Amino acid sequence: MLRRLTYFVVACCLVVPLVLSACTGEEEANVIKVGVIGPMQFVQGEHHWYGATMAAEEINAAGGVMIGDEAYTIELIKTDSNEILNPADAASAMEQLITVDGAHFAVGGFRTEGVFAMQEVAMDNKTIFLGCGAATEELCTRVAEDYDRYKYWFRVTPFSNVNLVSNSLLTLGLAGGIMQKGLGLPGPLKVAIVAEKATWADAMVAAYQQYIPAMLKMEVAGVWRPSNTATDVTAELTAIEDSGAHLILTVLSGPVGIPFARQLGELEIPAASVGINVEAQKDGFWEATDGYGNFETTLNTYAEGLAITEKTVPFFNKFMERFGQTPTYNAGTYDALYVLKEAIERADSLDADAVVSALEKTDTTTTAGRVVFMGKDTKTPHDVTYGPGYVTGIATQWQDGEMKAVWPNLGVGEWEGITYEGVVMWQIPDRVIKAYTGQ
Amino acid sequence: MIKAGASGYGEESYPFRRDVWSRPPVLESIIVQGLIRGGVYALLAVGFSLIFGVARMINLAHTCFYMLAAYAIYYLANRLGLSPALSVIPALVATTLIGVGTYKVFIDRVREHHVTVLLITLALAMVFQESMVLAFSSEPLGAPSFVSGYWQVAGVKVSYKELLTFGTAVVVLIGVWALLTHTRLGIAIRATAQDSEVANLMGINVSRVLLVTMGIAAALAAIAGIVVAPMWSVEPRMWTHPLVMVMAIVVLGGLGSVKGSFIGAFVLAFVEVLVVFIRPEFAFLRGPVALLVMVVILLFRPEGLFGVAFEEERL
Amino acid sequence: MFRRVLRDFQGDVLAIPGRLIALVFLVVLLIIPAATSQPFVLRTLIFANVFVIFAVSWDLLSGYTGQLNFGHALFFGVAAYTSALLNLRLGLAPWATIPIGALAGVTAGLVVCLPALRLRGPYLSLVTLAFPLILLGIVITFTDFTGGEYGVSGLDRISSSRTADYYVSLAVALASVMIMWKLTDAKSGLVRTGIVFHAIREDEIAARASGINTIMYKLLAFAIAGFFAGIAGALHAHFLRIAGPSNLDLTLSFQAIIWTVFGGITSIYGPVVGVYVLYPLMEFVLRDIAEYRFLVFAGIVVAMLLFMPEGIAVWIRDKMERECPRCKLPNMAFRKTCRACDTRLY
Repeated sequence: MLRRLTYFVVACCLVVPLVLSACTGEEEANVIKVGVIGPMQFVQGEHHWYGATMAAEEINAAGGVMIGDEAYTIELIKTDSNEILNPADAASAMEQLITVDGAHFAVGGFRTEGVFAMQEVAMDNKTIFLGCGAATEELCTRVAEDYDRYKYWFRVTPFSNVNLVSNSLLTLGLAGGIMQKGLGLPGPLKVAIVAEKATWADAMVAAYQQYIPAMLKMEVAGVWRPSNTATDVTAELTAIEDSGAHLILTVLSGPVGIPFARQLGELEIPAASVGINVEAQKDGFWEATDGYGNFETTLNTYAEGLAITEKTVPFFNKFMERFGQTPTYNAGTYDALYVLKEAIERADSLDADAVVSALEKTDTTTTAGRVVFMGKDTKTPHDVTYGPGYVTGIATQWQDGEMKAVWPNLGVGEWEGITYEGVVMWQIPDRVIKAYTGQ
Repeated sequence: MIKAGASGYGEESYPFRRDVWSRPPVLESIIVQGLIRGGVYALLAVGFSLIFGVARMINLAHTCFYMLAAYAIYYLANRLGLSPALSVIPALVATTLIGVGTYKVFIDRVREHHVTVLLITLALAMVFQESMVLAFSSEPLGAPSFVSGYWQVAGVKVSYKELLTFGTAVVVLIGVWALLTHTRLGIAIRATAQDSEVANLMGINVSRVLLVTMGIAAALAAIAGIVVAPMWSVEPRMWTHPLVMVMAIVVLGGLGSVKGSFIGAFVLAFVEVLVVFIRPEFAFLRGPVALLVMVVILLFRPEGLFGVAFEEERL
Repeated sequence: MFRRVLRDFQGDVLAIPGRLIALVFLVVLLIIPAATSQPFVLRTLIFANVFVIFAVSWDLLSGYTGQLNFGHALFFGVAAYTSALLNLRLGLAPWATIPIGALAGVTAGLVVCLPALRLRGPYLSLVTLAFPLILLGIVITFTDFTGGEYGVSGLDRISSSRTADYYVSLAVALASVMIMWKLTDAKSGLVRTGIVFHAIREDEIAARASGINTIMYKLLAFAIAGFFAGIAGALHAHFLRIAGPSNLDLTLSFQAIIWTVFGGITSIYGPVVGVYVLYPLMEFVLRDIAEYRFLVFAGIVVAMLLFMPEGIAVWIRDKMERECPRCKLPNMAFRKTCRACDTRLY
């Protein structure tokens, strides 16, 4: 009998890992819980956290968020979604954030598949989720398809990937124009497209193949699709050189961006590279490419000395001083928190539906530009509006160890007369000059 | 003749790019790229094959030594500021010691159970990977080059680094071949691989041979990691693709056959490079295509190219 | 008659500690939704149930027939994608897509079996490793059809509430494990498969010499394993509402192996224990130390392999039960004599 009892106890002990329910946090008075959810092991998640922390501290120090007559403090909850490695984890993390940790709002997200999964969970729970990382258009077209379910989703940064095509083509035009004029190149320029094999890049590649000849009057020399985790692209680069391309248009977000830039420089491939290279947005790029990543140009959001609005430089400097890194666009959680604060104050309540209506009326200046969310009648409601006078993004080029903003600029390749304080001239890479002039 | 533009590059006219050829040198590029990749894969595959031949062990953590050596070079050169040339020996020694130590502590006692060995090496690989993530973060890193610059041959640009890699691979592999065929240790290794019981009876200290073989294999993987670190990128997951390729190579060549692994390495490396050149839009498929080649060959010749069905001959 | 059942129950279940624990565990699983309303806990358990089916199917194939499958995720992924595409493109309901997905898993199993018939040992393992990776390449190539690396999303739910989902997963897991247990039970009078699988693993040539058509049984093993791994895959897709490339991942294949070997290979309860201990551990306990999660997990696996290579469930069971040398009945370890034939237990 005693033995049977012992075995019963053992059985119950085996069950302990299962029945571990976390304690539900008590509701504290006058606290707004905002979950910051992202891949915290990677720089994107880190910057989600840094940007949000800076904003929360500033807001709380300035008196917090006013609802009625009461001041509420913002409490941030750091959540690792692990979405880069496993999107399914992201869904569980979001669920835990909302149901166990009791978050009222969520900001963050990076990898598209992870954000789709997190979006579903947030919508299930009618929790407002401000995206600060995934550019996929479909995240917002869902709002149009099923407004009542998806209305709690808003995207603060980046703008839709559809606009990335425009920016890339504009940068390509700028670079091509400067090269053609500077080196006196005759005839149409040849462009090699290097796009990592990923779904987000597929649509862009198709668009480039159509618009590069039609709009820029350049030729497409070929399309190369390395894997986004490839560590060696010398084969691709050699083939690109063989094709006679003058420019390379990149669509790279994965680690391949580093060996690409490095091998490009080491082998002195006589083509200039512009487009999207997410690795080139990070400070560690210079060291990782051993300096050979010089002249690499990529679309970006922030750069030293760049003043898009009056908020940009103070934000940039404070971020740099406190964290020692250039902010990536994921640090737009800073803007997201201010947008949220204003919306809560406008709605004068924490009720999700009221805040949604208030968010839809957003028209404010952030570090990245003027943020207005697209309306219900558009194709992508709740997406951040793109274009001159709103949010345009920039392009940066590595020049001697520093990331400088080079687009939008005036002169060759000008775009509707837009430029910002702190933008400098794009430089033709030395290796290209050497190949074409022998110097 | 073309007039220069007004941007200040000189008023004289200048010709087109000096190095534009009338026919793009695709074949030469393929050959060069194939040889270089093949060299790296051969270094890894030969070590893997040695361990299998001698200890009948599939070491899933083998390419982790490749990764550890790459991180060691990064750490010594970038964080401690040593010159790349000086960092080679410490990186090599440290990694080899870790390899031998891991074997002694974890693997030796479970050597008899094949499934256990597979799993424990897999778990150890995860431990190594996560340790690197904790120590260096998941971001890709780059080690500084030993040599910079490139050489132009037959219209193909080969960086000196790539030449160094290939040269190192050739020299080291010749050294391994010489070791295996002309030294007493080499003969002991081959004897143990053929029949460890009889070798034991003949007076060969089998466990010492196993230890030494493990050290050689780890050293080979480390050399591969050292030459690759400045060439490709260093990140915590860099060991998975080479592991899959190495397993495909070793199976293709015939498990236990060093000659088979050597040749298999170049065969699959060329397959990879061909995919990139012939169908660049399918460049990302180079891994799966190489694996498909392996499966097809195994369907027609299950023991691999050089493995003999009765597993008698190994070298 | 009821009294007879009760007495059988007392003799066959309560007296044997292993089975008693299993019964208690089952009861706990059944009443958990009443004890906690946390959707997160239920979500984790749902996936644990799904992975139990997956791990047990691996054990059936690799543990029992000795053909170590390193690409078990192939069956899981094929079924997940099949049921997802049927649901999304053709609008079939989950109760239809899941069985069809499982049949797709069977097909995949037979496809893998064909080269596997010619190969042995490590060659077989490495070929099985290659298949999901090759399929992954195909999936990424035909992005329009398969959704590329985003996968196929927006699938129908299985039922309208988390709790109902949980009971569905538990019921399917229970049924699957029972069936697979019966199929591999060497002592069964009903089906021969159990003892034949053991024979194939131990000495295939001897089995052939005894007149067993080993080729047919190997195909059967792959088919059964493919079927149940397929059930797991299709269920997973419908619970998560998305099927993607991570369903074909190398790590998923390795997880099945780790769970099974942790619990105890070649025993159906081994993988069950392995999944129910390790999976919630990763999700609940280790979430608090997020960066060290995988390191701790790997460390536990290494320690277990060094000190308890036969698996934790088997080790515990050996401590708790002893087989009577004469009548082969399992008994509690502390007993001095067998409960049936009264022989001394040593």
